[in-house]
Amino acid sequence: MDNENEFTGADILLKALKDQEVDTIFGYPGGAVLPIYDAIFGQNFLKHVLVRQEAGAVHAAEGYARSSGKVGVLLVTSGPGVTNVVTGLTDALMDSIPIVCISGQVPSHLIGTDAFQECDTTGITRPCTKHNYLVKDVSKLSETIHEAFKIASSGRPGPVLIDIPKDVQFAKSKYIPKKDISFREHRIKAGSKNVDKNFVQELVNHIKKSERPIFYVGGGCLNSGPKASQELIKLVNKTNIPITTTLHGLGCFPGEDKSSLGMLGMHGNYEANLAMNKCDLMINVGARFDDRVTGRLDAFSPDSVKFHIDIDQSSINKNVKVNFHTNTDITMTLKEINSFIESNNIELEKKDYINWWGQINDWRKKECLHYEQGEEIIKPQHAISKLYDLTAQKDTFITTEVGQHQMWAAQYYKFSKPNRWITSGGLGTMGFGMPAAVGAQMANPNSLVIDIAGEASFLMNIQEIATAVQYKLPIKIFILNNEYMGMVRQWQELLHGSRYSESYVDALPDFKKLAESFNAVGVRAKNISELDDTINEMISINRPVIADIWVDKKENCFPMIPSGAAHHEMLLSKYDKENPENQEKGKVLV
Amino acid sequence: MSSTSVYPTPINAFKQSKRSVLSIIVDNEPGILARIVGLFSGRGYNIEALNVTVVDIKNNLSRITIETLGEEKVISQIIAQLEKLVPVHSATNLANLSESYEAEISLVKIEFDNNEQDQKILNFADIYRSRTVQKRQNIVVYEISGTSERINKFLDDLNTIGGIKVELVRSGPIGLGI
Repeated sequence: MDNENEFTGADILLKALKDQEVDTIFGYPGGAVLPIYDAIFGQNFLKHVLVRQEAGAVHAAEGYARSSGKVGVLLVTSGPGVTNVVTGLTDALMDSIPIVCISGQVPSHLIGTDAFQECDTTGITRPCTKHNYLVKDVSKLSETIHEAFKIASSGRPGPVLIDIPKDVQFAKSKYIPKKDISFREHRIKAGSKNVDKNFVQELVNHIKKSERPIFYVGGGCLNSGPKASQELIKLVNKTNIPITTTLHGLGCFPGEDKSSLGMLGMHGNYEANLAMNKCDLMINVGARFDDRVTGRLDAFSPDSVKFHIDIDQSSINKNVKVNFHTNTDITMTLKEINSFIESNNIELEKKDYINWWGQINDWRKKECLHYEQGEEIIKPQHAISKLYDLTAQKDTFITTEVGQHQMWAAQYYKFSKPNRWITSGGLGTMGFGMPAAVGAQMANPNSLVIDIAGEASFLMNIQEIATAVQYKLPIKIFILNNEYMGMVRQWQELLHGSRYSESYVDALPDFKKLAESFNAVGVRAKNISELDDTINEMISINRPVIADIWVDKKENCFPMIPSGAAHHEMLLSKYDKENPENQEKGKVLV
Repeated sequence: MSSTSVYPTPINAFKQSKRSVLSIIVDNEPGILARIVGLFSGRGYNIEALNVTVVDIKNNLSRITIETLGEEKVISQIIAQLEKLVPVHSATNLANLSESYEAEISLVKIEFDNNEQDQKILNFADIYRSRTVQKRQNIVVYEISGTSERINKFLDDLNTIGGIKVELVRSGPIGLGI
């Protein structure tokens, strides 16, 4: 007897997604998710984006989440459907991106029999998700989905996977709405609820005392929401303290502001790395002392008192020991710092840190991002600078692939707002950028979304051009084409005696013709005289465009802190010679 | 500023390693043990001993006890990583409590050939107050409990008797803070 208050598992899933205000889902159908696809067929609140390979779905969900601040959602089938998203889940875990992945599973009674398209999904994805579930009982489904969304977006965000056997998708139960679910606090890990007043007071005292303070801001500031960025700007303006950001922190503070030292780390600015090395007070706002940032740990900022704001307890004292820390949300903490300074009439403006800024301005004179653009061959740095000049006034989102082009994009494209810069930092996933652009364009249909790409990375998820064409997403793929895996080639040049083992990308397609064959548009710039027109043409076309920009094949990305070196030992150009001892140590590192 | 380098250093990490017993309260749900064991193997930590049982049926809680080796900094990181797992309520290093107690249980099967051996075995069993579980002509099974150290000593003493065969099982340490 059918009870009208009971729904199938597939319908419960759709109701829960609606309840969670999900309006876009990226997916690929298959045997074990057919009941869910049947439910999708009969509704109209949810827009399904059919990707061409599941890896595309997970990166698109990441791009969607990063550019919108909402949870990205994807739907894949059992077996290969889910193993194809393992890279993307790991990527989202490393970069703290909230996504929920729904996967189909073979029917319960076949689990463990090596059934067709069966795999141990929860086993495979356990280390690459924040949490995962296998739902064996349909009556637990609503609660599981709501908890999954809560976990994905709370505390330090991350990917959550829900594996649903096919029989559970058919089985019936009541639907429990989100508002009727009381979450168990220990499972949500939302960080401390109250601002640590002691931490705030200590920090303000240290700001007053310090001669050479610096803000070191990471992706946590982004994840705390746009208000964190506003509080940060307020605090920086109030204190006149220089600020450097990590790769993921770009955009949390306006890149063109006078207080910004730009990005730090392996390919960070000279002034940013030197300031980190010489500072006496470091205020870490949501960064995790990643090895790309710190360089050699025993020489990392040796003389500073370190404050660390991070919602993730395990980020505290993991790589670098800090003096003061708090596990509270960044927005709350920064807000409290600002109001503490205001309400106590603490006048920090008088300090001005004149000597410190003088020192920093001397470092700036090095012009570490300087390059020489010749008459003929396009320098990749110049291509990015031009792209920035010609798009800065537009409502733009930038995604990237991974490699030299990614670092040049981070160095030469300036971001003034958070959530505009979408890149794979922790995992360094080649093939990330184009599907991420699909996701970002879905979330921001009227904005200009550009994937700054290398030709090698682009080839890794090239199938998603078809997705962009099908959904009329006018994303732009801006390829800095040097026919090499440029970063691999650079390391081989610096550390392996210029033996370019397997880093030349032979037999490349004609990207212009390739675009046309997908029904997208292809444009090309072979030399400097064609660059501006090509960029302008790319921007003006309201369709997916592949721009094939032929750049200097041998250009390297500088500044660079070689692996095993410290911040003050950075290389400024290809004319700098590395010290051979570091070279040997660096070889064994990544 | 003391920071441990990610690069090779001459310090022997094990020299500073301490034995710690961690007590972890978790929701008793499928996959929880795999999550914890995976965390240890994935991040390169050691498990010397492991024990897990449901301790609260009403609230569906299990207590997992893990004996591990590591510097203090590593142990703090293990605890922070454990507490990030969704089903974990708490993870405690028993050594950090002002008062805690440990125990372990072991079953020891001993095969012997002659009376002399039997007498020596009986003697040690008596000293360590082991309980006889079963005794046959040439086989005896004892149950011994106490700290891991105590059981180690009992086994060391048994090993001084020549010609006997010992087979055993140990629960690994369990512990509780007061």
